[in-house]
Amino acid sequence: MHALYAVLVAPFVDMATSPRFLVEVLFGGVAAGLMYSLVALGFVLIFKASGIFNFAQGVMVLFAALTLVGFMERGVPVALALLLTVAVMVALAFAIERLVLRHLINQEHIILFMATIGLTFFLEGFGEMLWGSNVKRLDVGIPDRSFMVAGVQVNKLELTAALTSGALVAVLAVLSQRTRIGRALRAVADDHQAALSVGIPLKTIWTIVWSVSGIVAIVAGIMWGAKSGVQFSLSLIALKALPVLILGGFTSVPGAVVGGLIIGVGEKVAEVYWGPLMGGAIENWFAYVLALAFLLVRPQGLFGETIIERV
Amino acid sequence: MIYREAGQFKTSYASDQAIFPIAQDRWLVVLAVVAAFVVPPLVASEYWLQAILIPFLIYSLAAIGLNLLTGYAGQLSLGTGGFMAVGAYAAFKLTTAFPQVSILLVFVASGVIAAGVGLVFGVPSLRIKGFYLAVATLAAQFFLVWLFNRVPWFSNFASSGTITAPPRRVFGVMVTGPAATAQVRYLVMLGLVTVFALAAKNLVRGRVGRSWMAIRDRDIAAEIIGIRPLRTKLLAFAISSFYCGVAGAALVFLYYGSAETLAFDVNLSFLVLFMVIIGGLGSILGSFLGAAFIVLVPILLTRAPRLVGINMPIDTQKQLELMIFGGLILFFLIVEPRGLARLWQITKEKLRLWPFPH
Amino acid sequence: MSEAAPSAPLLLVDGISVRFGAVQALERVSLEVRAGEIVAIIGPNGAGKTTMLNVISGFYHPYEGRILFGEKDRTRLHAHEVAALGIARTFQNVALFKGMSVLDNIMTGRLLKMRSNFLLDAVYWGPARREELSHRAAVERIIDFLEIEAIRKTPAGRLPYGLQKRVELARALAAEPRLLLLDEPMAGMNVEEKEDMCRSILDVNEEFGTTIALVEHDMSVVMDISDRVVVLDYGRKIADGKPAEVRTDRAVVDAYLGVSHD
Repeated sequence: MHALYAVLVAPFVDMATSPRFLVEVLFGGVAAGLMYSLVALGFVLIFKASGIFNFAQGVMVLFAALTLVGFMERGVPVALALLLTVAVMVALAFAIERLVLRHLINQEHIILFMATIGLTFFLEGFGEMLWGSNVKRLDVGIPDRSFMVAGVQVNKLELTAALTSGALVAVLAVLSQRTRIGRALRAVADDHQAALSVGIPLKTIWTIVWSVSGIVAIVAGIMWGAKSGVQFSLSLIALKALPVLILGGFTSVPGAVVGGLIIGVGEKVAEVYWGPLMGGAIENWFAYVLALAFLLVRPQGLFGETIIERV
Repeated sequence: MIYREAGQFKTSYASDQAIFPIAQDRWLVVLAVVAAFVVPPLVASEYWLQAILIPFLIYSLAAIGLNLLTGYAGQLSLGTGGFMAVGAYAAFKLTTAFPQVSILLVFVASGVIAAGVGLVFGVPSLRIKGFYLAVATLAAQFFLVWLFNRVPWFSNFASSGTITAPPRRVFGVMVTGPAATAQVRYLVMLGLVTVFALAAKNLVRGRVGRSWMAIRDRDIAAEIIGIRPLRTKLLAFAISSFYCGVAGAALVFLYYGSAETLAFDVNLSFLVLFMVIIGGLGSILGSFLGAAFIVLVPILLTRAPRLVGINMPIDTQKQLELMIFGGLILFFLIVEPRGLARLWQITKEKLRLWPFPH
Repeated sequence: MSEAAPSAPLLLVDGISVRFGAVQALERVSLEVRAGEIVAIIGPNGAGKTTMLNVISGFYHPYEGRILFGEKDRTRLHAHEVAALGIARTFQNVALFKGMSVLDNIMTGRLLKMRSNFLLDAVYWGPARREELSHRAAVERIIDFLEIEAIRKTPAGRLPYGLQKRVELARALAAEPRLLLLDEPMAGMNVEEKEDMCRSILDVNEEFGTTIALVEHDMSVVMDISDRVVVLDYGRKIADGKPAEVRTDRAVVDAYLGVSHD
């Protein structure tokens, strides 16, 4: 009886009795969620354009952050460092297309997915070899300090991260829906060969997409890195982005946002209000179990297309 | 000229269905198995047994498990570490609760428990396919590791979920625990692997293997022929988890001696997946080859530079290791997606023709 | 086969309708197939022929109408349950298991008849082994019948198209079905291959008494081997009768020549 009360009633009572704390938790969840969305966005872009499930997105975030910090540690001013990092990520995109993707064009999805896993390990080792493997501080000039808004504590860094992510997502959403490039991307995602036959340059598109993805990775890397330091565990975020993709669908930009928010908020709320009951750290698996539960009800996610199987 | 099938006519279906239809293959394997039982305990150093042969056997068993699920049945799983953890912790609880039961029986029982858990997490596979299923298995991975970490009952209230293998004897010989010699542990593991690998080979060449491969290749057509998808997939999850569970128990009881949940985290899942990809999806031999590969590469990386006179710091070794793993995965996927096992097959085909070019 | 009274059909499709979103694939179509017959289902592209086969195999379920097999209603059954009743089929785009050999592919056709459990399989001794060998013998008889001995160990993915279709037929036959559904068995074949396939289909019908329903485009084949012909157009049945009658039917000629409908 007591256990039932503790699980079903007490947490909500807690929420109601300190609403300001609840708002803080929610905000923290939204901020985290938006950052997940950023990473998921990188996935979605590449999947939309090539059907490849880029597991290496997480390590691209790490690599971008490592590169940026690496430049800055060597005394390069922030703005120039950013530009150089962008250049590096674009070069990386070229290299990936040339050395890996081109040779795997006709393979099944699972092979491509495993190739991106291989890429992940390679880039992880390579990045650490280039820039060193100790935890680094990433200072982008925004203090990690909190201030009060209407009695609620708001963290300046998280706020900036949330706003930037939101802006980036909006820009990308508009780009993909309205512009010519966006239409070409959607054609390529649908059918490689058909797209080729109407003259869409597959290789250029792929390079563009991986570059944009790389830039998204830089932003994500900065946001995460500024908050928790640039370290190897950043690439574990890729794994966290998977539940986001499940909820939001693999090909939907708005879906990545909604999915990220649901996961971010859900995780935080679960951890704060139900975590103590179960010994804590339920953040480790909550997102996955949530995604799993979702899949059982709606196998294509919130925004995915209904699958019609043909024989 | 030596590796020929000429003159080996099969006069019955039985001989055609044998595991090793070519006589030379049969002899080779029998010799290899006998040698494996006899030679290393007599000749190999403690280091070789402890650092190379025993982990090789354990990883091979886990790789066979994953190969059955992902390579034969086509269900991508990233939860191998979690299922191995189930086997390890189940074995621990069973043997501490019933110390008089033979440790071999405990291994089998913990495999069965792991199979049960695998069944539960395999249920979503009817509705969910491909990458989505991989995420579901990740749920299993993270949840199970968290469970063993946070619920102290599983580790008999030790700190941070650490479990230690208590000393156990089989027929009077010390098999687990600090007093067990590497030779004994090696032989026990070899016995287990021989039995289970044979069972796996029998499974995959018969009815079960065919229904798995049918689901893998064309699940809709398979269903229309009459294969029951849920039953087939669940069987794959259960049997695969059994193998992984036994491997997990062996990991703690016959190799590490004691372990905490960190030993079974998602990196282990990826490691076993690499073994299966590099060794060859859908091949029992491939599981062995992949495991051997993954065990040997780090050893080579630590030994080779010193042999050539370069002193490489540990950090760089780890980084190189990652780069080489990643690079090799890419290499295999581009050049020979069917892995080392396929390369071996091609070699055999060339051998058959030798010395003729074609 | 003896449970059906002499005059009752083996398969009765009664007023089936199937819709995919806004597309009406089949609209109140009825047809029947008697035991031992060869019935051809023809019609212009998009008429719903493959959908019809898919409904009969239990892969799609109609939103109205019913299907009786051997006089029992089995409209709601799933694909693998339908297979267990004795209905086997081949597919328009050959659905062989590319990773397996021809022999293994055909052996999967026998799966429904295999009883052994997996533990005995793992040991491969005693009952499991005996069962495996007896099924192998049955499969070899079919391989003999269709004259594909030479390719039995070849991986199915490596075969030329015509041979793949033959292997698919073998796999369907391995299940010893009461009703065999063939989806465009002649597609993509040259004259020689078509003659071989025709011969095989007729042999199956004569020697094993298997009832056959096939979807086909090649008119000469259809006229040659079928006992009855059913014509579909835009999801509706427009003709049903002996080949000679159907060939001269006004509605059929119109459908093929493309006279506009409303």
